Amino acid sequence: MKVPMSLLGILLILTLNTYSNVNANSAHPEANIRIPKITQLKSIPEALVLDGKNDVRSITVSGLTSDGHWIDLSKEASFTTNDNKVKIDNNGHVHPVEAGWTSIKIVFRHHSIDLSVNVENIDTQPISFVRDVMPAISKVGCNAGTCHGAADGKNGFKLSLRGYDLDLDYQTLITDLSGRRLNRARPSQSLMLLKPTQGVPHGGGQVLEANSRHYKTFHQWIVEGVKSDVNTTKRVSRLEVIPNTTEIHLPGMTQQLIVIAHYPDGTSREVTSNAIYTSTLSDVATVSDSGFVTAVRRGEAVILVRYESLYSTSEILVIGDRSGFKWEETTQYNYIDELVHDKLKRVRILPSALCTDAEFIRRVYLDLTGMPPTPSQIQIFLEDQTDSKQKRDGLIDHLIGQPEYIEHWTHKWADLLQCNRKFLGEKGVWLFRKWIHDSVAKNKPYDKFVRDLLLSSGSTYQNPAANYHLVTTDKTTYQPDVAIENATQLFLGIRFACAKCHDHPFEKWTQNQYYELGSYFSEVSVKRGQLPGEQIVYNNYNVNGGVKHPKTGGIVPANVPFGSAEKIGVDPRESVTNWLVSKDNPWFAKSLVNRVWSYFLGRGIVEPVDDIRSSNPPSNAKLLEALTKDFIESGFDLRHLMHTITKSRTYQQSIKTNRWNQEDEINFSHAIPRRLTAEQMLDAVSIATGSQPNFSGVPEGFRAVQLPDSSLDDGGFLKLFGRPERESACECARTTQVSLSHALNLINGPTIASAINDPKGRIAQLTEQQIDNRILVKKIYLASLCRTPSEAELINAVEHISKAESQVGGAQDLLWALINSPSFLFNR
Amino acid sequence: MLSIPGKKAQLCDGVSRREFLRVGGAAMLGMSLPQILALQARANTIVTPSQTLNGFGKAKSVILMFLQGGPSHIDIWDPKPDAPSNVRGEFKPIKTNVPGIWLSETMPRLAKQMDKATLIRSVSYTPVGLFNHTAAMYQMVTGSTPDKVSPSGQLDPPSPKDHPNVASHVAKFLPPEVPMLAGVQLPRPLQESNIIGKGGTGGFLGRAYDPYFFFQDPNEEVKLDEFSLREEIPAARLKRRANLLETINASMPELEKVADSYALNEYYEKAYDLILSERARNAFDLTQETDAMRDRYGRHTFGQSVLLARRLIEAGTRFVQVNWPSVANGDPNTTAWDTHAANFGPLRNLHCPKLDSAVSSLLDDLDQRGLLEETLVLAIGEFGRSPRLGVSTSGNSNSPDGRDHWPYCYTGLIAGAGIQGGQVYGKSDATGSTPLEDPVHPRDILATVYHTLGINPKTEVFNHLDQPRELVSGEPVLGLF
Repeated sequence: MKVPMSLLGILLILTLNTYSNVNANSAHPEANIRIPKITQLKSIPEALVLDGKNDVRSITVSGLTSDGHWIDLSKEASFTTNDNKVKIDNNGHVHPVEAGWTSIKIVFRHHSIDLSVNVENIDTQPISFVRDVMPAISKVGCNAGTCHGAADGKNGFKLSLRGYDLDLDYQTLITDLSGRRLNRARPSQSLMLLKPTQGVPHGGGQVLEANSRHYKTFHQWIVEGVKSDVNTTKRVSRLEVIPNTTEIHLPGMTQQLIVIAHYPDGTSREVTSNAIYTSTLSDVATVSDSGFVTAVRRGEAVILVRYESLYSTSEILVIGDRSGFKWEETTQYNYIDELVHDKLKRVRILPSALCTDAEFIRRVYLDLTGMPPTPSQIQIFLEDQTDSKQKRDGLIDHLIGQPEYIEHWTHKWADLLQCNRKFLGEKGVWLFRKWIHDSVAKNKPYDKFVRDLLLSSGSTYQNPAANYHLVTTDKTTYQPDVAIENATQLFLGIRFACAKCHDHPFEKWTQNQYYELGSYFSEVSVKRGQLPGEQIVYNNYNVNGGVKHPKTGGIVPANVPFGSAEKIGVDPRESVTNWLVSKDNPWFAKSLVNRVWSYFLGRGIVEPVDDIRSSNPPSNAKLLEALTKDFIESGFDLRHLMHTITKSRTYQQSIKTNRWNQEDEINFSHAIPRRLTAEQMLDAVSIATGSQPNFSGVPEGFRAVQLPDSSLDDGGFLKLFGRPERESACECARTTQVSLSHALNLINGPTIASAINDPKGRIAQLTEQQIDNRILVKKIYLASLCRTPSEAELINAVEHISKAESQVGGAQDLLWALINSPSFLFNR
Repeated sequence: MLSIPGKKAQLCDGVSRREFLRVGGAAMLGMSLPQILALQARANTIVTPSQTLNGFGKAKSVILMFLQGGPSHIDIWDPKPDAPSNVRGEFKPIKTNVPGIWLSETMPRLAKQMDKATLIRSVSYTPVGLFNHTAAMYQMVTGSTPDKVSPSGQLDPPSPKDHPNVASHVAKFLPPEVPMLAGVQLPRPLQESNIIGKGGTGGFLGRAYDPYFFFQDPNEEVKLDEFSLREEIPAARLKRRANLLETINASMPELEKVADSYALNEYYEKAYDLILSERARNAFDLTQETDAMRDRYGRHTFGQSVLLARRLIEAGTRFVQVNWPSVANGDPNTTAWDTHAANFGPLRNLHCPKLDSAVSSLLDDLDQRGLLEETLVLAIGEFGRSPRLGVSTSGNSNSPDGRDHWPYCYTGLIAGAGIQGGQVYGKSDATGSTPLEDPVHPRDILATVYHTLGINPKTEVFNHLDQPRELVSGEPVLGLF
């Protein structure tokens, strides 16, 4: 941390340079990587079919090393053909020349394989606006969000974001500026070609080389008369990336990706050079413009491949040098451990040891009840001589369902359901919270819980579940669009909001689907009730079934974005709710399971937890599947899920890492310390200091986690430490940052200081008894860090107290220091 | 395989995820998040040509005197003596110390400092569907138009989805060089009616990037407890506590990694330093100024706030926003700039003397201290006022001598940080109704702020939906330098 900034800057620049060299050079640029002995060769694909003159394809070649790794040899292998039916260029691209069957011989060292090729025909197709021009526009970047794809376009030229609206873009190109973008008589004088090549000034600089591949596509399209095939040609319907998952052995080694676009008419074409690539972790693997992946360091990265409106991924695992690694059989408590260990074996990671009983009791209390254990609870648990696993299982069984458990999970749901008097009024807040509380206390099956919320109607006072709809109501205007954004993010883990204004840029969701889904909620209405603050949620059947599409202005008929929903009966909400909470809905159970997992393990299997999409794959897909299946089979039983998670060995691992897992953050090979939430922190301070916080407006003895909403204040501590305002259904509304103001508050703020100094608090009571310093220190450690001090810690603390001006003063200092230690501030 | 812990990034796309995770990788080099961000901001500027442009990186800090309410440009900065009387108003133009530049007679002291500042007389925009103060202020201090406007034309109260105040972005990209508050806003929040603080927060960057809100009247005695040592914990005891904490943490090496990734030690060091050095406490303590200095700025809330702003930037604060100490749409007779009902009397007797003493003293004072070269000074409102008297432009009713809201053409004062003084940039028409030359959008002014601080205004940031956006979609006004 003390490295001077200037030096770091140089380091960073050097690193970047290294990367670019890697990219620029051939497949194995680092001199120290020699291609080892190869025992077998394979190609993907294993055969080629070429359909038309422009159907140019490439081939990847891999070799199996004697120690069992497949490595990419696409650049090293040689390709030959013994007739002239195809031509292979310097980049390894196969061009059709003459119709008929042939084969390509692939040779590396003394291994060779034959790849059969069928050139079906060598017809020349005219340039297609849909399949040639638009992909080129996207690849060049004209319709990117920061360029002409911006909401207002750029300098008077607006394209749809990443080309989601083909027809609009076509019309814009041919009609804007009285058609000057396209000069059919002198194609090269078209603004479409002059602008990007800087033939005339272009605010975005030069983005296209004259006579480049894309230039020629545009040019030819103009020559052929700027024809639109928007109504006749279907866009790509499926994107295939080869390979979709691969291991790269060592940093510096590479992998060429191949991207195939499949069309609804059964045809396909290779689009590797027109696809757009990004690496989720460019310090693990970089990817070039042409889909060439270079491993940088050990780790897991996902290459996102976009072509047109579709996304696909290739998961890259860079194994790195793991010589000396040997899997050690590790106890497995349940199926979670089995699946976590399967992944760990694959990535050559050893899991951490179990945490201690003292660590476990603090962690499981915080996670299940939102509070650390009290000193006496800790003592009873630690002194219990029962076998540790049995004892831990017993504690879990005891805690799940306790009043504190119910308060904690009520609070969590109240966050997500935005139990906030701004929307619900004061009485509504208490009633809604009570309704959630009763549901948690009954362990209402999750599908029933969501169904009750979505289908709730009537008075928000008599049927408090109906308060759910007030969050998406502005005054008395119910907003179907906000309602579906909320519901999909909360219950499906999908961010639909992006599709409000344009097709979702990273998913298959379209703008139409957004409004189709909204139409199910178009009849929901809200009016004032008779009592002050009371609202009535009802279905207004006079509304003409459906919401308006902002572009066409027409009513959009209700439909679901995937799967199928039953026909609308009396209440449209009924059919969409049945669809949403169904066992067959691939997102409903999965998103909940992922969310709950993250509460216990500090990270979702998909992260962020409410952003599940194909371009954001899970770190352990099998684990997520198994948890989902188990949850559905249990009848959507949340307590069963929590039992299963907390009783796994994986949950009970230590935060201490070993040589093999110290860099792992995504495979659950060790516990991840998590900063206490605002409420946890305040309640933990209260237990440690023995001082009750004062909240205005609620009875004495209320804990932070019991507050009905965020309007009740404690002097600003909860707000500062990230209690959500409950204005968003996003998990991210709760923050657990640390900043200068947090440090200032913990060190010098009134909350901690007055709790420590409380004349009725722990320190005052302990020192009044004039106890021995050693006992004093032990008691303070137990109350704050939930463990007894080591002998060295004991000596250190006793020494501080005996040197202090008074025992009280010294003890206060100790408690202050322990509260300010990461051991207190984090759930670990 | 690292990720930045703490605030869960609300990622709705792979790109920012990559950014975040890349940051995670750098954390292995032992850098804290703020360091990395600072480095990124600089890296952003390295790869673009803007670094070579005029004025880039000249400012170390910024003082924004935000004149909420919308001061009348014609009656202050841009007199129109040749316009008809229902435009010209009651005030006469006066000469300044720069030949050819005239100010209204309401600003006699500024007239003597005119060589140090530039007037942009062509600030102009067309409101997006809205004509009220909050939307205009929001645009002025965040660079963005609000996402949501209620049917009544009001904005929602501040929300975590809001765009960050300019000071919050600055705090993120350019943390102070010394342990000090990065951004400070005083002496009261932005406010129109019951919408308080809209546009003044860290918004989607998170509360950690909120400016420090010093909402007290510096013309009265102020409370500085937060930055002072607590009575029962004198410096020696706090140091002993810090040492004890260090030995306690040393016995738990397994937590070192998490402490590092949250930059805990760094924040604690800074916090100790801030408390023990009393840097912030001293900066806020106006009693350390001479009476003469305090008199010079003016013994009123605005004058003392501007003096305080100077003390804060001297102590290392990057961005001080002094809000005009009246509610934007308040009563003009209690110094609100919203002079629908009465214009000339209040301006002559209440508003302008305060504005004049504070602005002129700040320019002179910064110059004498050699700070004007590295401090960007701005005085501007969310709009100007209608050139014609007694007409309604916003739907509000106006008295015959009142002026209504006018965003289409108004004036902002800008100085310091390499900006040539004694200039007029842009030109308004004969009635101050529309720019004749070089119109400047409020976003361009924010772009200029970032530019002078050495932050590329085109830097890509991710909004609350995690869509990539430019920091501000404006162009720095390079003609100022």
